[in-house]
Amino acid sequence: MSITSHDKRTITLDGLPEVGHTHARHRIHQQRKTGPKHRAVRPAAVESSPRHLVPHTWILTSRILRRWGRDPTSMAETLILPVALLTTLNVVLGDAISKVTGHSALYGTVPLVAMVAAMSGATVGGIGVMRERTDGLLSRLWVLPVHRASGLLSRLVADGLRIMMTTAVIMVTGLVLGLRFHQGILRTVAWFFVPTFFGVAFSAAVVTLALYSAKTIVVEASAIVWALLMFFSTGFVPLDQYPGWLQPAVRHQPMSYTIEAMRGLSLGGPVRTPLLAVLLWSAGIAAVCAIPMAIGYRRASMRG
Amino acid sequence: MTTTAAARPTTAAGARPTPSTIQQWWVLTVRVIMPTLRNGEVVTQVAASVMFTVGFYIPLKHMMGMFAQSMSSYAQYLMPLIALQAIAFAAVSAAFRSATDSVQGIDRRFKSMPIASMTPLGARMSASMYRCSLALAVSLACGYVIGFRFYGPVAHTVGFCLGVLLIGAAMSFVGDMIGVASANPEATTHMTMLPQLIFGLMSAGVQPAERFPKWIQGFVRNQPVSQFVYALRALAGDSTPAAGAVTWPVIGPALAWVVAYAAAGIPLAIWVSRRRR
Repeated sequence: MSITSHDKRTITLDGLPEVGHTHARHRIHQQRKTGPKHRAVRPAAVESSPRHLVPHTWILTSRILRRWGRDPTSMAETLILPVALLTTLNVVLGDAISKVTGHSALYGTVPLVAMVAAMSGATVGGIGVMRERTDGLLSRLWVLPVHRASGLLSRLVADGLRIMMTTAVIMVTGLVLGLRFHQGILRTVAWFFVPTFFGVAFSAAVVTLALYSAKTIVVEASAIVWALLMFFSTGFVPLDQYPGWLQPAVRHQPMSYTIEAMRGLSLGGPVRTPLLAVLLWSAGIAAVCAIPMAIGYRRASMRG
Repeated sequence: MTTTAAARPTTAAGARPTPSTIQQWWVLTVRVIMPTLRNGEVVTQVAASVMFTVGFYIPLKHMMGMFAQSMSSYAQYLMPLIALQAIAFAAVSAAFRSATDSVQGIDRRFKSMPIASMTPLGARMSASMYRCSLALAVSLACGYVIGFRFYGPVAHTVGFCLGVLLIGAAMSFVGDMIGVASANPEATTHMTMLPQLIFGLMSAGVQPAERFPKWIQGFVRNQPVSQFVYALRALAGDSTPAAGAVTWPVIGPALAWVVAYAAAGIPLAIWVSRRRR
């Protein structure tokens, strides 16, 4: 009896019927084999097995992506506003920067806007988590045989895919405006993936903030952080335009490193040092956020 | 409709309170303002105003400063834009707040209660004005630090402040309407920063309109942010005559843009209030 009710519940949950179904069957199977003695222990062991992590994460990721696809307003904003910003920056600053540096400003502005798009879009994920907490979706997922880590992982995977999409759009805009790749196919492909590193780390930070604070704070604080990183990065104006005491901060912040790595991969120049620094920054932020994020998500899921 | 019903005392004395609209407005205003003091929104509001000041001034001072040399300093040149960016951020975060309210269904609850239909909107607007005043105060303080000064008579200084607040009120009103109409906080979040950055950078607030490429100069000169900047710059004055004089040809277009902008919100407001009945 308990099995049928369990089955019914999983089927009503949009997007997850398949997993729930196989699980329920699996459970019946298990219980027949082992008898009622292990009823409480077995299912927990099954759903938390690493074997299920990838398929479960993927189902939840496609759920998030489908939801974005059905919200054309925010989708369009995610894609169109950065393109408008890139065009604006190119018109306003392009000329002056090209005169100062001797090569097109686009090698800095295109990565800059790719990062701005990645970071400004992260808010949508943060607000999404809060909405799902309020709606009770998180606690519904918590009582289902879904891998515990897949909820958070799917958020980050979906954000990574979103960042790739916005980067592709901005890359095409850059090519139209006059950006050219001089370093071969392999480095061009690498260029494309660089924004994802720090972008996903920033998403993790926003989700963590979302789990611990009010909605308005998430939106405003993350906007302030990315705007600060944008204004004080080597993609906005060249490094020597900043006062001497500020230059170390500008040079070593993650967004500047991302821009420098991407500049190296497209125009030419050092790649390894900035790329390593980006990875360190991203890993550092991810490490700081990991435990509070997991605890916060658990709490959000159990609160209902 | 609801007002008259609420204001009329009922036959059973004491059975039904007679709510005062002023008091309701005040309660609802405090309802929005109080959480900002508790949850740290005041901090983000102040941080945003500071961020706009340093973010435009420090990187662009040398590069753009040389194109604005007719004015006494680049700070004097940039101040109107900084104030406008700060006020826009304040106004849009207010819009986000109303989108959240409408999603949570609190609007519908208010409509089922003896509250005049305009009171919740009025309360949200006065709460937005609180945010806008804070943004204006902080950005003016930041402006003084980087070297901005008011050179005009007191009337012009008051005009500068009222002008910025008027623009803030118009933006809050339209933002609020968009927030309520869309009822989609996710979509509203993108509006907090990017559009105002794009319009701000593409205006005469950063560099003179003549510095832009020919094909876009017409847009740059006539778009609302540039016209606001011209008017505010004239009101702030300068030690040199380059700031422009306070005359109707300078102030008029800015006022027209504010009125046009606020008027754009009215059909939206009517649609929103009809939809929920």
